[in-house]
Amino acid sequence: MNGSDTTADVLKARFPLAVEGVSTFRSDLVITLKREFLRDVARMLRDDPRLRYNLLLDLTAVDRLKLGITPRFATVYQLYSIPRNQAVRLIVPLPWDGETEMPVCPSVTDIWPTADWLEREVYDLIGIHFEGHPWLRRILMPENWVGHPLRKDYPLGGEPVNFSGDRDNPRFAHLGQQIMEGLSFPSELPPGVDPENHMVINLGPQHPATHGVLRVVAELAGEQIVSAHCDVGYLHSGFEKTGESKRYEKFIPYTDRMDYLSGMNNNLAYVLTVEKLLGVEVPLRAQYVRVILAELQRLGSHLFWLATHAHDVSGTIHSLLMYCLRDREMILDIFEMFCGGRVTVTGMCVGGLRQDIPPAFPEAVKVFLREFRKRFKEYDAMLTRNPIWVARSQGIGYLAPEEAIALGITGPMLRAAGIPLDLRKVQPYSSYDHFEFEVPTATESDCYARYLVRMREMEQSARIIEQAINRLPGGPFRTADRKVVLPPRPELDTSMEAVIHHFKLVTEGYKPPPGDVYGMAENPKGILGFYLVSDGSAIPYRLHIRGPSFVNLQALDTMARGHLLSDLITLIGSVDIVLGEVDR
Amino acid sequence: MDWIAGLLIPFVKALVLVVLLLTGFAYLSYVERKLVARFHVRYGPNRAGPFGLLQPIADGLKMLFKEEIIPRHADKLFYLMAPAIVVVPALLVWAVIPISNFSFRIFGYEITFYLTDLNIGLLYALAVAELGTYGIILGGWSSNNKYALLGALRTSSQMLSYSLPMGTALLSILAVVGSLSLVDIVNAQRGLWFIFLQPLGFLIYFITGLAETNRSPFDLPETENELVAGFVTEYGGIKFALFYMGEYISMMTTSALATTLFLGGWWGPFVDELPILGIFYFVLKMSAVVFLIIWVRASLPRVRFDQLMGFCWKFLLPLGLFNVMVTATVVALWG
Repeated sequence: MNGSDTTADVLKARFPLAVEGVSTFRSDLVITLKREFLRDVARMLRDDPRLRYNLLLDLTAVDRLKLGITPRFATVYQLYSIPRNQAVRLIVPLPWDGETEMPVCPSVTDIWPTADWLEREVYDLIGIHFEGHPWLRRILMPENWVGHPLRKDYPLGGEPVNFSGDRDNPRFAHLGQQIMEGLSFPSELPPGVDPENHMVINLGPQHPATHGVLRVVAELAGEQIVSAHCDVGYLHSGFEKTGESKRYEKFIPYTDRMDYLSGMNNNLAYVLTVEKLLGVEVPLRAQYVRVILAELQRLGSHLFWLATHAHDVSGTIHSLLMYCLRDREMILDIFEMFCGGRVTVTGMCVGGLRQDIPPAFPEAVKVFLREFRKRFKEYDAMLTRNPIWVARSQGIGYLAPEEAIALGITGPMLRAAGIPLDLRKVQPYSSYDHFEFEVPTATESDCYARYLVRMREMEQSARIIEQAINRLPGGPFRTADRKVVLPPRPELDTSMEAVIHHFKLVTEGYKPPPGDVYGMAENPKGILGFYLVSDGSAIPYRLHIRGPSFVNLQALDTMARGHLLSDLITLIGSVDIVLGEVDR
Repeated sequence: MDWIAGLLIPFVKALVLVVLLLTGFAYLSYVERKLVARFHVRYGPNRAGPFGLLQPIADGLKMLFKEEIIPRHADKLFYLMAPAIVVVPALLVWAVIPISNFSFRIFGYEITFYLTDLNIGLLYALAVAELGTYGIILGGWSSNNKYALLGALRTSSQMLSYSLPMGTALLSILAVVGSLSLVDIVNAQRGLWFIFLQPLGFLIYFITGLAETNRSPFDLPETENELVAGFVTEYGGIKFALFYMGEYISMMTTSALATTLFLGGWWGPFVDELPILGIFYFVLKMSAVVFLIIWVRASLPRVRFDQLMGFCWKFLLPLGLFNVMVTATVVALWG
């Protein structure tokens, strides 16, 4: 029996009144639920042995004001069952009379703890009150922000931008003084923190080990951590809002800037989602090149992680930092050769690649692989058996497998807990199934296990790249679908049809059919997910991003309790966060 | 004319020593940056002057002309005193370190290559070096900053703990030589360096020396990645530089003491015929130890605080005591 049918049938049999509708669009199973049944259904979906949707991948909401659907707001739950490799999306419309400040939705934080931050994000950006949430407050926007930016009636623009160089403006006559009103407000302590008996120390937002602007409110008894609460959002730049006012293809450069260490992987996840929405087939050559680029980027990201993690944990051992960055430099050079960009690559486009690989590309990749393998052994030798390194990371930050799943952890952290969830293996995309590779796992689920998993992953990535570069097929590097990609330049001279396609694409862009899809890919840091809602125009109606760093970072508190302050730094490093993606 | 021998000569010698040490500090920082850069496949400072040789001077001038910032919430007196308390003891130790047995005569006065040959030289060196801890604690405490305080607390416990195993390493030397005078200790090594007689003692001394000077892998007090900069978090400009001066001079002191105690001081081939060679040998051996310390910094991760303490109390101290016992037994039976 088909897996998706089972879910709907089991659900209907158990809660006949709960289901408002079942639909399938682009192979995504979508179930519309009544609000009052949400918690019961969620618990059953998680626990029923036939369903076992144990991983809440994503939680978001849609303001359907301009779609003309009532009720206006609906929350969206993307569930994934690790044992069954099945996904289902729940849509819960929230009846709202418009008289209260915001619609109300029951919280699922006690069913999936990962919903904590996700619900706060929805509350912050869309304005939905989650009943039963332990500490519902803004997470990405400043505390004193007015309104909810992702609502469709939120005013766009209209904010005057003050430039201090504008000397004609009488407002700036007093140059040299504070011109913008810098509001400061005392930060509220997270619940349960006891500042009377414990020392509360702020790590960040400016702190050398947080790799950006992360603030950790660490409650210490001596040097022992009682609790560690993360305060994020300092780097919030409204990617989702930007995405909802741009054409689909114009958002690709923005994805480079989310997790700026894995631009290619972000590109890949996004174009896969749009291709899924459009139903476009990508030629094999493009798929292979995408795999090469994505795996090179994974190596780059992991090398950067190794460099900074070793540096964070060990302080003055900058040597490894420099060695790893030297190798990453070679990867960036290859990217530069391919697309001109190094960090912000924008190497892929919907339907294939932006351009074909240059002739020197395969050789450069092979040279890199040779060098990398040689040096990688040295890095391995420097840390893996180093007694100080083992003492610093072994037994630190244990996360039980069930706990990890409940917290929505994905990527190397989940695999270090012994759960071999790797989308490249279980739901192969971009012809990952053509290559032989293993999914490294460990069972200790501590910082050392995460280190080992990532190190072994690098070896596997090198293996994949080698196979792909040796078996690189010929043929086109983009789809022939003229509705999606521009025709080649020579064709414009001979074909009127090509000119029309060109004109339509440049002036209007492609228009996917109405509907919603969830696309995801295995990023170096975990599963990166995109939720797209199309209203049939060339601009996404709703674009939601699930950043793996954001979700994984939630586990910090659970992992840190009882360890020492020094271990907190080890832990932040072992989560492998990029604040650009955490705050989006 | 007793005042010349009693006052003038020591004064001039002390002056020369201080100038040499401060220059030494400046160029040690250059050497370390250059060396570590090579370990990192980088170039290191190479802009100021040929091979970047003027870099320390540029750094010094920059530090001097920085704006003087004193945090409003700091305890001003101690905040200003702390850097000085770190530097002065580090310099004082050098009064007893014998560089060479070479001496020459000017106007009938004998000039030796050490300030004084104290008969409790070793004890003096240990005691004075330990004083620097006060500067660090006061600096961390008076800054009135949580990071600085944590850094200072770590330092105090670390330094106090590691003095013990260091003491045991020195005790075994004492048992062999039977004198606290550093000159006597060097003279006793004329035939055989103590590193061969006391290999375990040297190892313990080197490790504790790293800890006492807050060098990697024991650089806990200034763990930049957790405590920002530890006890120097609130310091800037020349006060910041003074802390580093203290640390680098301590590093030189540790190396010089290691040379004196274990590596035979000024002894080497042909020193008997040409005593001035002793200075060269002393500097060479000292540089070798400094190089070792820098090498360790570039290749070892840092230990955690509790591991650091555990290592000291549960491993180094028993090892050191065992070493003392064996040495004492051997000396008592066959000495």
